[in-house]
Amino acid sequence: MERIKKIRNFCIVAHIDHGKSTLADRLIEKTGTLAKRDMQAQILDNMELEREKGITIKLTPTRMIYNYEGEEYELNLIDTPGHVDFTYEVSRSLAACEGAILIVDASQGVEAQTLANAYLAIDNNLEILPVINKIDLPSARPDEVKKEIEDVVGIPAMHAPCISAKDGTNIDQVLEMIVKEFPAPKGNEDARLKCLIFDSYYDNFKGAICLIRVFDGCVKVGDKIKMMQTGKVYDVTEVGIFVPNEKIVDNLKAGDVGYIAGSIKNISDVEVGDTITLANDPIEKPLPGYKKVQPVVFCGVFPVDGAKYNELKDALEKLKLNDASLDYMPEVSQALGFGFRCGFLGLLHLEIITERIEREFNLDIITTAPSVFYHVYKTNGELLEISNPSALPSPVEIEHIEEPVVKASIFTPPEYVGAIMELCQDKRGVYKDLIYIDTNRVKLNYILPLGEIVFDFFDSLKSRTKGYASFDYELAGYQKSDLVKVDILLNGEKCDALSIIVHKDKAYSRGRVLTEKLKKIIPRQLFEVPIQAAIGTKVIARETISAMRKDVLAKCYGGDITRKRKLLEKQKEGKKRMRKIGSVEIPSEAFMSILKLDDEDK
Amino acid sequence: MLGVYVHLPFCERKCNYCAFISFTNIQEQEENYVNHLLEEIEQSKNKYFEGKKEKIDTIYLGGGTPSIVKLENIEKILDAIKNNFYLSENNEITIECNPNSLDINKLKFYKKVGINRLSIGVQTLDDKDLKIINRLHTSEQAIDVVRQAREVGFENISVDLLIGLKNQTKENFIKQIEVLKNLGVKHFSCYMIQVENGTKLEQLYNLDKNIILNEDESVDIYEKTADFFNKSEFLRYEISNFAVKGFESKHNYKYWTGENYIGFGMAAHSYINGIRYANPKNFSQYYLGENISKEVLTKKQIIEEHIMLGFRCNNGVNIPFLNSLGYDITQNSDYKFMKEKNIIIEKNDKVYLNPNYYGVNNFIIVKLLP
Repeated sequence: MERIKKIRNFCIVAHIDHGKSTLADRLIEKTGTLAKRDMQAQILDNMELEREKGITIKLTPTRMIYNYEGEEYELNLIDTPGHVDFTYEVSRSLAACEGAILIVDASQGVEAQTLANAYLAIDNNLEILPVINKIDLPSARPDEVKKEIEDVVGIPAMHAPCISAKDGTNIDQVLEMIVKEFPAPKGNEDARLKCLIFDSYYDNFKGAICLIRVFDGCVKVGDKIKMMQTGKVYDVTEVGIFVPNEKIVDNLKAGDVGYIAGSIKNISDVEVGDTITLANDPIEKPLPGYKKVQPVVFCGVFPVDGAKYNELKDALEKLKLNDASLDYMPEVSQALGFGFRCGFLGLLHLEIITERIEREFNLDIITTAPSVFYHVYKTNGELLEISNPSALPSPVEIEHIEEPVVKASIFTPPEYVGAIMELCQDKRGVYKDLIYIDTNRVKLNYILPLGEIVFDFFDSLKSRTKGYASFDYELAGYQKSDLVKVDILLNGEKCDALSIIVHKDKAYSRGRVLTEKLKKIIPRQLFEVPIQAAIGTKVIARETISAMRKDVLAKCYGGDITRKRKLLEKQKEGKKRMRKIGSVEIPSEAFMSILKLDDEDK
Repeated sequence: MLGVYVHLPFCERKCNYCAFISFTNIQEQEENYVNHLLEEIEQSKNKYFEGKKEKIDTIYLGGGTPSIVKLENIEKILDAIKNNFYLSENNEITIECNPNSLDINKLKFYKKVGINRLSIGVQTLDDKDLKIINRLHTSEQAIDVVRQAREVGFENISVDLLIGLKNQTKENFIKQIEVLKNLGVKHFSCYMIQVENGTKLEQLYNLDKNIILNEDESVDIYEKTADFFNKSEFLRYEISNFAVKGFESKHNYKYWTGENYIGFGMAAHSYINGIRYANPKNFSQYYLGENISKEVLTKKQIIEEHIMLGFRCNNGVNIPFLNSLGYDITQNSDYKFMKEKNIIIEKNDKVYLNPNYYGVNNFIIVKLLP
């Protein structure tokens, strides 16, 4: 049989927690790619954080060899991140495949991301093979779920393998179907080189590594390659495959999945979705689907200990090495000092990066409330794009403001529809439609301001639906909104890091909740401290922290001075975590508190 | 001059707010314990002072409840100290006592062996409050004891009072102080009751927060008390201590001014020439002489302690002394602010905490540390 006919390139897509990584592990194990003893639990999630959160962020492809009817097949599994923040990366990974396994949890059924991912796969013309997972659970209802897949996703599912990735049940069926159902790649290894970059990472010795799928031609060490979007040219220093660790090979040909290294210093030069060709014999047209990745959520990141600015800078630089989608630039805040304004693909991305800074670099940081990019049209005709509330000009200079909105789809059992509609209403959502998928599942579509989602939409949705609803969104442009900036004044001084941009109708209640919350968090000072919320010069809410009256360490008994000194030293350490606005000291938690406003905003 | 502290960890009953090292129902331990004390006193010369007898001017018998210790043992301890140190003529020898364990004969005996200062745990003259905190005596007993002590000839009597007890008001608390003052008490230690970890009070407090007054109520009484003393012949020479001039506790003052002191007994602390020592907190280790902690203070720690202690009492903080250790406190940004606001007062080479801010001294100290 021809070489290319024995290749299968596929990925696994699923709603979060439906068992994608577990199935990947089983496939690797069953094909003998890794001995069982070499497997860490869920080998593909290779970051500590990923394993902990049970989510996959970074993609790691794996080549497996599978014997079927006397022939050795090469199965290339390209794992995909299962989160809405990484939709673009997922779509590029899908573009590198011919087939997709769609995992659906046998008791949960179709969820928001099941559908979103299935549609992405359909958009990329992939053959989709549904697999029903977790049939070992007592609540499994595989037949109903199959029907649900047919009804909701609209693909045949009656012959879908019913498996338990956890127990290893029926994994062979999946492998067989991969060979039988998924088409072999098409392509011509004698044609001019055409590769898709579907991911990248940084290696301290080899530089930025491109993860590629070869569509046409052949690439080997010594070739001069060209990135078609950036126009940059590199000499190939290494080509290889993943088994799942890197393994050097002589070349990669049409149909293959692997990596190229070329002494690429900067990961930003390797853009996901870009096409690689030969510099001296290029193709004319790049592969379709390339997009420049843009951050959508922003926040300020500051070191708790102001002296650690440079350490924070190093941490961001190092993270950026491996994550081209992370954006940051220096920012100065009156309240928080020197730090960075960072841009992220979404809230999960934000959470991951900030957690990695704290964990891997052992830095305590303050993050300001997440915000989005606003388009501010000024009366003088200027257009400002701002993500930092403190950069918003005064109301008199503003003609109008536009904010980004998203198309949101929410899957839920019908009994929670009321609660969800109330939530969406509260978040200034515009109702689009409601579709009954079956008797116990409803899909709600809303247009929602992104700025509302970045507050605590996920948490509220989860708590209002006992975790039954799932949620997915895509950006849907900008809309004009009546937005204002609410400033917080402490002892009459504005604290820039606490400013927020909110809808006018919510300004009063947000201002009230914020001042109340700050009153609880900011400790008493030597003097009375008024806390005010204001729009421009108009005060909309006020609280007062009364002066501190008692702060004495217990008596010096029997000359035990050491204990007291140690207590003081501890308190002094704690002071480093405080920020000063004028003469008022604020603990760093205060800056985070505005993230959790909405639980009390009802 | 060096001061001597002796810890006597015996009590008839544990007060429910007490987090100190003390034990009940172990009177049979007393002889054994005292023998170890005597031995420790005997050995201290060689251990700390190269075999020389040091001059001392204060002895403080603390606890626990030293007044329940047998009189012959008190005498033995004092004798041992006198044999191993030179006791200055102008000395202060204090014993802590509980009203219920004092009587006229005991007082006479104390007087005879040279004790010249009593620190009496009156705590309150409200009988309901005495019950709540699990004291063994009544207010009447307390008053009697003070009267008897005066009759026996004790001039220097100090009384401990607790602020923040349930039935306290500004008015009745001041009245209590007046009663004691009129009996001839020359020194008051007024502490705000604290809910310490692991105490009975903590358990009770968790069940009923109203078992003591809240912070604002306590602070009101505390401020009123300071105000009352301020208008009398009493001087507030430390956050919680008020004395008629000349009746300040010489011994306690050593703790606050960085003077040397040596502590004997379990859990006792010493500070000798820049080194802090602490004895172990249980009998067996103490008897074996094991686990004595030793801490040589760094420059930074000396600075911290000087600031912490100097702002606690009217001794103040010595600016050139801090400078000599490499810390110019006047350059601290909070210092300037506080000086402007009259929170701290600079006088000659020293800086003092304005007594109006004694109640929040911790907050201020933390800011003024290097």
